[in-house]
Amino acid sequence: MPSLIAVENLSHRHGDVQAIDGVNFEIAAGEIFGLLGPNGAGKTTALESVLGLIQPDQGRIEICGLGARTRQAREKIGAVLQATGLQDKITPREALNLFAAFYPAPIASGTLLERFGLTQKADSSYESLSGGQKQRLALALAFAGDPQVLLLDEPTTGLDPQIRREVQDHISGLKADGRAVLLSTHDMDEAARLCDRVAVIAQGRIVATGAPRALIAESGESLEETILRLTAR
Amino acid sequence: MKALLHLTAVSLKLNFRNRMAVLYGYLFPLIFLIAFWTIYRSDPVPLALHVGQFLTVTILGSACFGLPTTIVSERERGVWRRYALAPVDRWIFVAGMLVSRAVLLLSAALLQLALAFALGLPMPAHPLGLLVALCVAAAAFLSFGLVIAMLVDNVPAVQALGQCIFLPMLMIGGVAVPLQSLPEWAQHISAFFPGRYAVEAMQLSATGSGLRGAGFDLLALLLMAAGAAIAATAMFRWDKALAPKRGWLFLALGMWLAVGAMAEMRGNVNISAAQDTRDVGTASNYAAASASAPSWENVTEADIDGIAFDRLPPDTGIVSPVSRSDETPDPVLEPSLDTIRDALPQWAPGNVADPVQRARNLLAIAAVPDILQMEQMERFIPRLVFARLQAMIPPRDLPKVLYWIAMHPDEGDDSAIRQLGALGLPEVSGPTKPVRGRIMLYAFKLLGRLTGHIATN
Repeated sequence: MPSLIAVENLSHRHGDVQAIDGVNFEIAAGEIFGLLGPNGAGKTTALESVLGLIQPDQGRIEICGLGARTRQAREKIGAVLQATGLQDKITPREALNLFAAFYPAPIASGTLLERFGLTQKADSSYESLSGGQKQRLALALAFAGDPQVLLLDEPTTGLDPQIRREVQDHISGLKADGRAVLLSTHDMDEAARLCDRVAVIAQGRIVATGAPRALIAESGESLEETILRLTAR
Repeated sequence: MKALLHLTAVSLKLNFRNRMAVLYGYLFPLIFLIAFWTIYRSDPVPLALHVGQFLTVTILGSACFGLPTTIVSERERGVWRRYALAPVDRWIFVAGMLVSRAVLLLSAALLQLALAFALGLPMPAHPLGLLVALCVAAAAFLSFGLVIAMLVDNVPAVQALGQCIFLPMLMIGGVAVPLQSLPEWAQHISAFFPGRYAVEAMQLSATGSGLRGAGFDLLALLLMAAGAAIAATAMFRWDKALAPKRGWLFLALGMWLAVGAMAEMRGNVNISAAQDTRDVGTASNYAAASASAPSWENVTEADIDGIAFDRLPPDTGIVSPVSRSDETPDPVLEPSLDTIRDALPQWAPGNVADPVQRARNLLAIAAVPDILQMEQMERFIPRLVFARLQAMIPPRDLPKVLYWIAMHPDEGDDSAIRQLGALGLPEVSGPTKPVRGRIMLYAFKLLGRLTGHIATN
């Protein structure tokens, strides 16, 4: 199966800190790939490099065979990032229509509102949405351009268990559509439930890669214990 | 294009949903307008001479606060971080912000003008020119607003930096306090700020000769706009976590410096009341011999020939100016000039028995607008007064009367300068010495014309 995301020998420094150091991975269509590791391990830097938000010092990134910083690559990527929000007074419908205008082949706002259970709230202001609704809207916005590739940076952090499960169901549904998903998380259960393969990242380097079950079987520990051991400083 | 239209529309919609933004964007300009109207309530034509000022305040508010607050608060919330992922050029997002802000700004300016018309402001002499000047000024200020937006991290910082630019520009930049009232040092400083060029370019279209006279102002504003636009583009950041490239600020400010230096080199930075209220000297500055005749009836031709008419300030200057005969005043000034012309025959001080006092009173009608810097008015009123003097005083006596007034500026009664209200002119209170100085100059000027020492044009 062809890979939709290919990352080769990626390195980047933030000032004195080597944020990522020689990172490699590939993600195929229909695959959910998890990037696991503690805060500050380099997950966000890797993700932002793939998104083209930062120009890495070194390395090669391809999205559907295109350079990450090209416009054509951006047309194929959808993302949920941390620390993003919307204007207080914008409504989900307006936001989705606005983002649809950015892409050549967008998905209609009505379809996305329905898919993410926001029809009831379509015309309410963003500030009046609950945390879960905001996160579902963030996912819906990531789909505005009908992307082949999805990058999700801790998409369930801070959500209550019920909503978390709901968002996770949406993510696992993406496999069936043949999309490639790069998911960064520090929630081990989530990684075990959703990911086909995970890469464990510590101090900017990938220290282990494989299917979650295989990682557990290898060590005989739980995934959490495995990761703690692998990322211990 | 689709993205730009959507961004502009959404940005406008959101602005109108934000009560504070609406209040700030529309109410604030109207409050400033009322303030100008109140401060200059004695102006002969309400607000006419302050169009450039009140419009510039509106542009300035929009650029120092409205535009950067919106951008910075959206960036703080991570809206721009999300925009950064879209397959859309960054300039589309900035353009969407600028276009929507320009629409808000133009609508606020129109609202301001509508209220001003209701308060008695006449139609601008050059409406199209005013629109052009407004757009050029908006470009200069909004580009700088973008620089502020790129520079600071959060909304309180916008407020702080905005005030640092807004207040000095109002006070010593020639925007709220007219340049003529500023001390000379402040006028030099104002040449380095965009405010005075915006005020002048718009004012010339409202009551002056239009854009033809505003070449340097427009050039200055365009240079400042270009410098700020380039700087803002280079300093652009999607995320406050990225450090702004502060060095580019020097390009934007460097352009202010360059414009200021150009203005200083052109040499007409001072248009000041400092010059205009300057002491015009005594009669002996203009006449070789001191007056020997015991009364005005004894003035001789030799006395008049002894006057150094070439030492008088030029008609085209700002001290005791006189319009050329082939010059027509701006249509906006005509109603005021008509009021004076129509009221003159009934004006009591212009009909007193003593011909010297009568002439002195009439000359005050020209002297007061001159001292008040009533821009175009001060150049056209003298012609009205000269005509009235020639109608009211026998041609044989008039040169002698004028000579007498000019050589004795401190004589006689000056209560007429507090009775100009009947002519639609401000009534001056306070020291009358400067007005007497101008009465002297105008007496000399008409005398020179009557006796052929000054060419009539």
